[in-house]
Amino acid sequence: MTERPHDETAPDTRHAPNGEHADHGAVPHDPDDHEAAARAAALHAAAHDPALPSPPPHPAHEHAPGTTVSAVAADAPEILRLTALEVHFPVRGGITDSLRRRPKGVVRAVDGIDLSIRKGEILALVGESGSGKTTTGRVVVKLTKQTGGTVIFDGEDVSTLWGTGRLRPYRRRVQLIFQDPYETLNPKHTIGDFVEEPLLVAGRGLSKAERRKRVIDALEAAGLRPAADYAARYPHELSGGQRQRVVIAGALVMDPELVVADEPVSMLDVSIRTELLRLMLDLRRERGLTYLFITHDLAIAWVLADRIAVMYLGKIMEIGPAERVIRAPRNPYTQALVSVSPSPDPPSEGEDAQRTILVGETPDAAHIPTGCRFHPRCPLAFDRCKVEEPPLFDVGEGQQAACWLAKEG
Amino acid sequence: MSLQATELTVEPPAAPTRRTRDALGRYLSRTDGVIGLAVLVLFGILALIPTLLVGPLQNVTTATGTPLQPPSLAFPFGTDELGRDLLNLTVHGARISMTIGLMATLITVFLGAMMGIVSGFAGGVLDAFLMRVSDFFLVLPTVVLALILAPVLLDLIGPDAELFGIRSTLIVVVVVIGLTSWATTARIIRSQVLSIKERMFVDRARVVGSGSGWIMRRHILPNVVNLIVAQAVLTFAAAVFTETTLAFIGLGDPSAPSWGQILNAAQSAGAPGLGAWWYIVPPAACVVLVVLAFTLVGNALDEVLNPKAGGRR
Amino acid sequence: MSAGVRGRRQWPLPRLADPTAPLLEVEDLSVRFRMREGSVKAVDGVSFRLDDGEALGIAGESGCGKTTTALSLVRLLPPNGRIRSGSVKLFGIDLVPKTEKQLGRYRWREIAIVFQGAMNALNPVQRIGDQIGEPIEVRLGQPREAARKRAGELLDLVGIPKQRASAYPHELSGGMRQRAMIAMALACDPAIVIGDEPTTALDVMVQAQILQLLERLRRELGLSLMLITHDLSVIAETCDKVLVMYAGKVAEEGPVNRVFTAPRHPYTKKLLSAFPNIHADRRTLDVIPGSLPDLRNPPPGCRFAPRCPAAMAVCREVVPPEVRFADGVRVACHLYPTPDATPNLDLALAGQVPALDGEVAR
Repeated sequence: MTERPHDETAPDTRHAPNGEHADHGAVPHDPDDHEAAARAAALHAAAHDPALPSPPPHPAHEHAPGTTVSAVAADAPEILRLTALEVHFPVRGGITDSLRRRPKGVVRAVDGIDLSIRKGEILALVGESGSGKTTTGRVVVKLTKQTGGTVIFDGEDVSTLWGTGRLRPYRRRVQLIFQDPYETLNPKHTIGDFVEEPLLVAGRGLSKAERRKRVIDALEAAGLRPAADYAARYPHELSGGQRQRVVIAGALVMDPELVVADEPVSMLDVSIRTELLRLMLDLRRERGLTYLFITHDLAIAWVLADRIAVMYLGKIMEIGPAERVIRAPRNPYTQALVSVSPSPDPPSEGEDAQRTILVGETPDAAHIPTGCRFHPRCPLAFDRCKVEEPPLFDVGEGQQAACWLAKEG
Repeated sequence: MSLQATELTVEPPAAPTRRTRDALGRYLSRTDGVIGLAVLVLFGILALIPTLLVGPLQNVTTATGTPLQPPSLAFPFGTDELGRDLLNLTVHGARISMTIGLMATLITVFLGAMMGIVSGFAGGVLDAFLMRVSDFFLVLPTVVLALILAPVLLDLIGPDAELFGIRSTLIVVVVVIGLTSWATTARIIRSQVLSIKERMFVDRARVVGSGSGWIMRRHILPNVVNLIVAQAVLTFAAAVFTETTLAFIGLGDPSAPSWGQILNAAQSAGAPGLGAWWYIVPPAACVVLVVLAFTLVGNALDEVLNPKAGGRR
Repeated sequence: MSAGVRGRRQWPLPRLADPTAPLLEVEDLSVRFRMREGSVKAVDGVSFRLDDGEALGIAGESGCGKTTTALSLVRLLPPNGRIRSGSVKLFGIDLVPKTEKQLGRYRWREIAIVFQGAMNALNPVQRIGDQIGEPIEVRLGQPREAARKRAGELLDLVGIPKQRASAYPHELSGGMRQRAMIAMALACDPAIVIGDEPTTALDVMVQAQILQLLERLRRELGLSLMLITHDLSVIAETCDKVLVMYAGKVAEEGPVNRVFTAPRHPYTKKLLSAFPNIHADRRTLDVIPGSLPDLRNPPPGCRFAPRCPAAMAVCREVVPPEVRFADGVRVACHLYPTPDATPNLDLALAGQVPALDGEVAR
């Protein structure tokens, strides 16, 4: 059965049963949901860990990128490469359109991107709704089929795996952490069922005991102890943070190499977010994982990622080391995003003027502007921008920006 | 960035809520559900042990009463034109009516659920085709179909076939009811499947490599079971009613009198004209009561098994 | 911020209003929910004040009671919720003892709410122009023509082109829908607009636009705002005062530039440092271990004690009193028993501060 391509620009009604535009997650569910809070509270954490001091401010080793605990070696091999990736969805016209011979539109959700990730790296794919970031992630895990371009994984071309026997092994090595912990778990299955499913499906001839052991290991690796206890529970008995840990365990159980994380924390409370993010970092260190981290939140990308790629309307606007992209962005879109990125520091005098609040909203992907797709909203646009689309220019230190202003480097 | 790998030991949740008991409790708090259930249990008993209660089914040779007598102490429901005790007939009729209803329901639900799940999940051309097929069956008039199919099927299976204690004519009735009811169930299940297959846990199943059959069995089916159960109950009610109708117009087995059959016999014996109300009222009342009871139970079940909260939390 | 008589006070006040009273004064508000497993005190003794033209942010995570607090001001609680005690004084008029019918005078006309997720609050089969005009017709009793005209003005005010008045909600983008919701809230010229997570689920750029709009409206109309959100950055940007809630109680309250730059309460501090900050020099994320207390059975003493690295013995036994400092900040924490206490919070959080009674802080 062919997998349906998911139209990213359509209201994402899947993720919010009542149909709201919750592309990147609303506030944690039911702000005053006391039943959930009561349940979550019944899971009172190991009350207060005396061994946990607050981290001292300005830990020196956390400043520069690349010197994090699990630094990515400069010569680490490339694990994923996307070349000229395209995902175009046809817009089905109605009968009147066919009768009037009106050309059907095309939604260009992903419109030609090049991306590469090194083993052990965290690449954050940042963008607003309609940017194509989620679709890109879905292509990597093969939930959505690309309409153009190639996907190379660990040196092997995996662009067309459907119908071959190689799809299963690929799925073992590349996994996805979903966005909504409330929706990712089938309410009728236990936690153990959920984590075990990949093992059953892969049919690797593991015995029941072996499978059980792997499930327990995965749950423990995700911080859920005692794992045997958790395995018997149903999703509604767990809090959002715990459920997301289960989702992570479910992704880990196959021992993947590349994990695509699609907004994994946007639906969780702030204090839970940091736990989960730390967990993901720990797992990278312990298991040598590589992450493609999809998010709309530049701040999370900032604290987490080695490299950041900014997408807009299906194209990469800028890509480079996190420090460079955030502190010295060369693409006006990135600059605007960084300037309006929320921070808990109250604005000082005159700081307001430094924020570039763009006018209007992202146009829909069926009507992409000519030339540079950002030009209608770009405060620095000039003539060339309206006609010709800029490629990614190298601006030094591993950073690239798709902007005519960056041409000189 | 991570300093010490702080082991965040999270305590396990409290003991699992007893979901079955919870659902049962909710069901029992509904008056309509309880009443319906009580009535069904009563008729169930009648259907299971009729002989114990009123003796073996009376026929021409064992009839002991005077024909067409109104209710009396000896014969609380009066007698029919052959002098048979109508109470005896009515109680035995429960077994026939309910058995047919049950069998027809099983066919309907099985066929309907399977079609609904496959059609809804597959989508595309297969879905369109199956839906057109179901449209066809949806508009088939039950009675007409029965009359057309009866001779054909009887030819096929012969006049003496027997299945679970019911004979050829009634087998035809079961088949007919199944054929005309499955489409409604299929449509209802299908629309539920359409919404379930969009949910994230189905996506997740795909990502870990599950095939379509696996997803339908393990993910879709458990989430429509509640709906299927509620549907089954309502189908049962409809089946009993339809059987009654068909028997009334003559498609029944005189030696195995269902309530409809009794009504048919009443009609032939001229009961309405003769004012023999006792011949008509009991079987009719039973049909109404059983159908009503099923409907009440079905509604209560639907509410209880499909709470609004759905899969959230 | 405004000076003098601004905003709602330009219009006739309710008959019973006290012109000298503060705009909104909430005292010792307690709200209880009756659940199957017991009674939950979602809001427990919360007090605060909102002045004319001020913007107050109520911050906290899910389950802290901030939304319940806001909804209880106009008694928009679910059937199992009830205000147990306390007073809500609008222009000096206590709304708590009012009947449903009497509250109608205040709902939307004095206090309006912009809900989270505009798609849920907007009627999908009604044009937005009509939806915005509806409160004007129904609550102010104005004729339809006048209402329509006013709706057009409001659309203008929030930056929606007038001709979109005939559009249905699904034809608008997320940002436009939120603007429409704001226009609806302004329909009856309320004194206070409450925004319940008004920018969550919106793109970051659209969020900036909406906040800019709210700021402009505040200046032009002299509005008073109450923003409920878990997103501290929204409060930092838009609000004058902030109220930090935890588990139904007030942890800290005060001017934003005091509380956010020099937080006193350990929870505030941890919450701030748990926010990834793109403008900060360091790329760190703090963790707050543990989870919310069970509100059916809240812990004795300070509710944050089980998770607080600076907790002392007294914290687990005695509810911390609220102390008001000279710079306008109010804190409920045993580290601050008097208005002149100045413990070193960083050290306290590292568990290294001798407690007031000589015992080492644990």
